[in-house]
Amino acid sequence: MPNLALDDLRAPPTGLRPRSRSFWQTVGRRLARDPVTLTCAAVLLLILLAAIFAPLIAPHDPYRTSMARRLLAVGDHRHWLGTDELGRDLLSRLIYGGRMSLFMGFMPVVLATIIGGTLGVIAGYAGGALNMAIMRLFDIFYAFPSVLLAVAISGVLGAGLVNSLVSLTLVFIPPVARVAESVTTQIRNQDYVEAARATGAASWRIVTGHVLSNVTGPILIYASSLISVSIVIASGLSFLGLGVVPPEPEWGLMLNTLRQAIYIAPLNAILPGVMIFITSMCSNLISDGLRGAMDVKV
Amino acid sequence: MYHLQNAMQAAKTSVRIEKEETMRLNLIRRLVGAVALGTLTIASPALAEKVLRVAMTVADVPLTSGQPSQGNEGMRFLGPTVYDGLVLWDLSSADKAASLVPGLAESWAVDENDKTKWIFKLRRGVKFHDGSEFNADAVTWNFDKLMKRDAPQFDQAQSVQASQLYGSIASWRKIDDYTVEIATKAPDSVLPYNLTGLFFSSPKRWEEVGRDWNKFAAQPSGTGPWKVDKFVPRERVELVRNTNYWNQKRLPKSDRLVLLPMPDANTRVAALLANQVDWIEAPPPDAVPRLKQSGMNVVANVYPHVWPYQISLMDDSPFKDLRIRKAANLAIDRDGLVKLLGGLALPAKGMLDPGHPWFGKPSFDIKYDPEGARKLLAEAGYSEKNPVKVRIVIAPSGSGQMLPLPMSEYIKENFRDVGIDLEFVVMDWEALRARRRAGAWAPENKGIHGVNNSWGLWDPDIALIKPSASFEPVPTGFNWGQFNDAKVDELARAAKTTFDPAQRDKILAELHARIVDQAMWIWVVHDLGPRALSPKVKGFVPAQSWYQDLTPVEVQ
Repeated sequence: MPNLALDDLRAPPTGLRPRSRSFWQTVGRRLARDPVTLTCAAVLLLILLAAIFAPLIAPHDPYRTSMARRLLAVGDHRHWLGTDELGRDLLSRLIYGGRMSLFMGFMPVVLATIIGGTLGVIAGYAGGALNMAIMRLFDIFYAFPSVLLAVAISGVLGAGLVNSLVSLTLVFIPPVARVAESVTTQIRNQDYVEAARATGAASWRIVTGHVLSNVTGPILIYASSLISVSIVIASGLSFLGLGVVPPEPEWGLMLNTLRQAIYIAPLNAILPGVMIFITSMCSNLISDGLRGAMDVKV
Repeated sequence: MYHLQNAMQAAKTSVRIEKEETMRLNLIRRLVGAVALGTLTIASPALAEKVLRVAMTVADVPLTSGQPSQGNEGMRFLGPTVYDGLVLWDLSSADKAASLVPGLAESWAVDENDKTKWIFKLRRGVKFHDGSEFNADAVTWNFDKLMKRDAPQFDQAQSVQASQLYGSIASWRKIDDYTVEIATKAPDSVLPYNLTGLFFSSPKRWEEVGRDWNKFAAQPSGTGPWKVDKFVPRERVELVRNTNYWNQKRLPKSDRLVLLPMPDANTRVAALLANQVDWIEAPPPDAVPRLKQSGMNVVANVYPHVWPYQISLMDDSPFKDLRIRKAANLAIDRDGLVKLLGGLALPAKGMLDPGHPWFGKPSFDIKYDPEGARKLLAEAGYSEKNPVKVRIVIAPSGSGQMLPLPMSEYIKENFRDVGIDLEFVVMDWEALRARRRAGAWAPENKGIHGVNNSWGLWDPDIALIKPSASFEPVPTGFNWGQFNDAKVDELARAAKTTFDPAQRDKILAELHARIVDQAMWIWVVHDLGPRALSPKVKGFVPAQSWYQDLTPVEVQ
């Protein structure tokens, strides 16, 4: 991916491809020297792989209930992480639950990045009335705390996966758009953009060639920091009964039903919470690492 | 801010301790992480007066001005404590279903010639907490408060809360100072039951506070065994003994009753373990072993409640087929659910428990019989491989809903074993209630075959007549799913117009048997209404009723 702003500071251009690689190579080199980010990425990858291959590695059927086996302690020889309040294998449910929780962590952010990023770039590049219309609309969303907004939208739409996806995406679009808009506005007034315009380049070409390449970095960094928020809010929605429909395993929902057992099986009860914590913590730290690595001023 | 040293000085300062405690409790309620609290023990200050502190499950202090808000739990704690009805529940026995006894009315009778007219003879010498007298004028004034929209004392807030109870009342008038006539729209033998929930606020106090119900709520005046002493919205209400109560036998043993809203179950447990309260409503079943280990008494008794799926019998519902309704009832492993509920529930064999006078003799025995269920489903053309698909609305929480999610998940597994594919539509409790009030035929309920709405069954109307009679559709009745049975209608009509209680009980028993034989609902368990009491709490008699009498209870 080309990055002209950075490349302007370097040797005279010889071609687009080698230069673009050099930026990402720098980023890659910096990340490789960052053990925290690497560890977190490994953990996240592990959780992701486990979730993807859940049917292959889960030791038990995550839906099979048994009152005789309910709330077995962590460390049981057949159920390593114990069982839940209905006697279902916790390890299997945590593995399967990762599918939904990770999906709900990444998907809204991906959608919001695409939609919000596009709208932000349009608003920033077009300026004037269009900018006004788009950004003021988002300001309305900004007036509400994100969790409250997600709960409100989910409450109106009803429980379910698609509805929580919609509500979370709607929650994240305004902040992504704002980042995209502010960066675009800065880029738009750069000399090289002026120069491109003066040479008669079409708006489309300027946006794809000059603006997008500069906006992508900050948006990606910002979006990666939203993943942890998304996981937490999605779990929160499920916890409140507004997200995933039971008996589908999902960490937030599991936390809700298991918390009743906090007095007799505290370890079992906190396990889904631990998973939410680890996952959101890791994605947060990765986001920090990315920011450091991609910051050209460092 | 007050210090504990000051508090040790004199009886007068006990109020200050109370405040200190208020602040602590405030803090507690804000701490969501109730886990840590389990280990926190805050010394309870030595109080000169006997205080009983109760943690309710409601999220806010119910309305104190007469008709309580916050559903039936609000009624339990701010109805017959501060106020009285013309008729009261007899809550003195743990061994039989609660029955009606005279309250502010000493006696009542229906007119032999016109069964819509009732005469109520009022009790003499009853005084409101402000000293004014309770008489026929107070009765008509309070009925105007609820039902006469142009009356100056009409209160919308109270009227809404009581609307289910006064629906059958057409008019009322004073005959003399201690006699009132109440007329119903149609003969209604259930009226005395409804009158247990209509409470009487003091007209004098309402005048004193400038005819303002909001101000009245801050310093209410009723005729009940307790007087409101302190009311902190959203936080607590404190009641003190009404020494002039008309029934000296029911004079409260405790000097002060503190009622605290505490919606989170684990917070309530933590508060009891930390000696912040003496009594908690509805401890979560899995906390019971921990509570018992700490010496707490977990008290439970059967009361008129059932946790069902109310089902649709409309054309698009599989439950239109009696065989499928019966199969669903036979497929549920209720003993497994009772285990999930820590033993604090009773497997249901119908709307009511078999010990209830209205249970009757149904021929359909509701039990766990997966083989029988499979056979019935096979007759209807379904099997495990070709399951019948049903969709039911559930909510993750709600009053009387026990542990709705795990219970439904368990039932889903039970159903899967016999060939019923149960799909959930999850929504918020209030949204579920709105779906229940709308009826199965409402557009938003298209494709929905049932609602998981737990049911309190304290009077013939709510327990049997209104859920079953075809002429009682929601929202005025409770027939959600167009259940329609000629024999049920006939029995329901007969029950409404039979004024001899023994005779009516017989008809109701027949009605119940018929409903069970028709598998009108899918009945799952009866809640045992658990509450956990500190070992210092003495004198409580767990009545077989939604209501409970706190007057004989004291903390030693």
